Amino acid sequence: MPREAEPSQNEKDFILKAVREGHRLDGRALDQFRQLDLKFGEQYGVADVTLGKTRILAKVTAEVTVPYTDRPFDGIFTITTELSPMASPAFEVNRPTETEVLLSRLLEKTVRRSNALDTESLCLVAGQKCWSIRVDLHVLSHDGNLIDASCLAVVAALRHFRKPDTGMEGDTLTVYTPAEREPVPLSWLHSPFCITFSFFGSISVGEDGEEKDIWLLDTTLLEEQLRVSSCTISMNKHGEICQVAKPGGAPVEAVTVVQCSSLALQKVKDLSDFVDQKLAEDSKHRNKGGLLAELSADNAR
Amino acid sequence: MATQADKVYVLPGDEINPALIPSHPKHPLRLGPGLRHVPPSDLFPTTAGQLVTDRRKNLIWVESNGGRYIPAVGDLVIGTIHHGAADFFYVTLSDYTSNATLPQLAFEMASKKNRPQLHSGDLVYARTHGPRAGVRVAKHRKGRGPGPLSEGMLYSISLGMARRLLMRKSAEEGKVVVLDELGAAGLAFETAVGRNGKMWVNSKDIKTVLVVGRAVTETDEKSLTVEQQKKLVRRLVKEMA
Repeated sequence: MPREAEPSQNEKDFILKAVREGHRLDGRALDQFRQLDLKFGEQYGVADVTLGKTRILAKVTAEVTVPYTDRPFDGIFTITTELSPMASPAFEVNRPTETEVLLSRLLEKTVRRSNALDTESLCLVAGQKCWSIRVDLHVLSHDGNLIDASCLAVVAALRHFRKPDTGMEGDTLTVYTPAEREPVPLSWLHSPFCITFSFFGSISVGEDGEEKDIWLLDTTLLEEQLRVSSCTISMNKHGEICQVAKPGGAPVEAVTVVQCSSLALQKVKDLSDFVDQKLAEDSKHRNKGGLLAELSADNAR
Repeated sequence: MATQADKVYVLPGDEINPALIPSHPKHPLRLGPGLRHVPPSDLFPTTAGQLVTDRRKNLIWVESNGGRYIPAVGDLVIGTIHHGAADFFYVTLSDYTSNATLPQLAFEMASKKNRPQLHSGDLVYARTHGPRAGVRVAKHRKGRGPGPLSEGMLYSISLGMARRLLMRKSAEEGKVVVLDELGAAGLAFETAVGRNGKMWVNSKDIKTVLVVGRAVTETDEKSLTVEQQKKLVRRLVKEMA
């Protein structure tokens, strides 16, 4: 397997020195995100997230299957991530790297285990038929901060997705085509977002030599290769923490983690507003003559 | 250099108008990158780009902005030392490609007893020497220029940008004035440009290095015109102060 190309010693020294003095290569502030863009596809459930030079595509599909026997009232919800050689020559097909395992694990914890999607609502006939919702995540270009961008893509794609409407008449289950009935959105409970903090050791501030951890938000690939440890905090805009992951690396002060989580809340609110706004723009664009309301089979309660 | 109006662009496999191929009574015709000679006398482009000729030196080549660096003899490159062996350093010219070799004795003033001490990850500015079992990199033997590059920062730029920066008259022919403008704005820095799409910048002041790097990469990515480059430099210098 090709090893990831390492930056030269000059780059390492320079970036660390610059970060210690509070500068970043692209002139951003230490806690500033890169230019974020979110586009939805023509189909429902396709989200294309661009964060600087990182680009991620998420696609949601739904099919009717048999539920797991131990969970007859739940639908199936899976997230599959794929880091192809297109993103970086260090990735190989069918041989997951550590990055890929960590990424899929984190998305699992953030989106699936936090019950963002109500899987019970995916049940059609208890024990016999349910919806299986699958999110495919493709990394098109890798320039760092895959976790935050992927989580945003997954959440945006799922919220944009519409599954075909179904009806039960007696014992027969009918899945309606989009032409017959307007597809319905998933039952979405809350939107979790990941914020990754990358730590770069500590510097002493003040006269008493107090140590202060330095951390960056939204790191590029180069910065990511040089960090000493990272911490990913997932939460929704109400400040409910879904998970905190700090996979190895140098230890970090407890105070820093608390500070990070309060900053994460602020960033999550920004991201949440951003996704809401993009979804609203998209629905406005789709709903040109205001006809969608008439097509819906739901009663306005 | 051709003016905007009579620039000739070619696609791979195109037929080249014989009137465009230079002929010279003394020098033989020399082919540059992007062209393939099919004996006896056919000439085909292998890449898409602008066809450039030099009638005085009897040269013809295709100017293109590809992403992958293919070494050619005589290129000035910036390499990263991968590891050292008894007599050679193995040098990475671009990521995920096989290494080039750099003889330890090719360095200026180097002898059997006085070898350069370079470690994995160090940068060297060198000239490619010949395509024998990979690429051999030999150090340029002139005073200033090639040699180990210490400190500073390495930036990745496009191959086209590297070529433009390396042109003898980069301002007139290459249309890059950022470095001149930055120098005129009173910044003190030194640069080295490698044909393999690398640029090394060093200065005493970190901020200066950052500004130079941002100016060049932005010019490259957004393909800025001369006027825009001047504007960019003014903005960056103002931000820095």
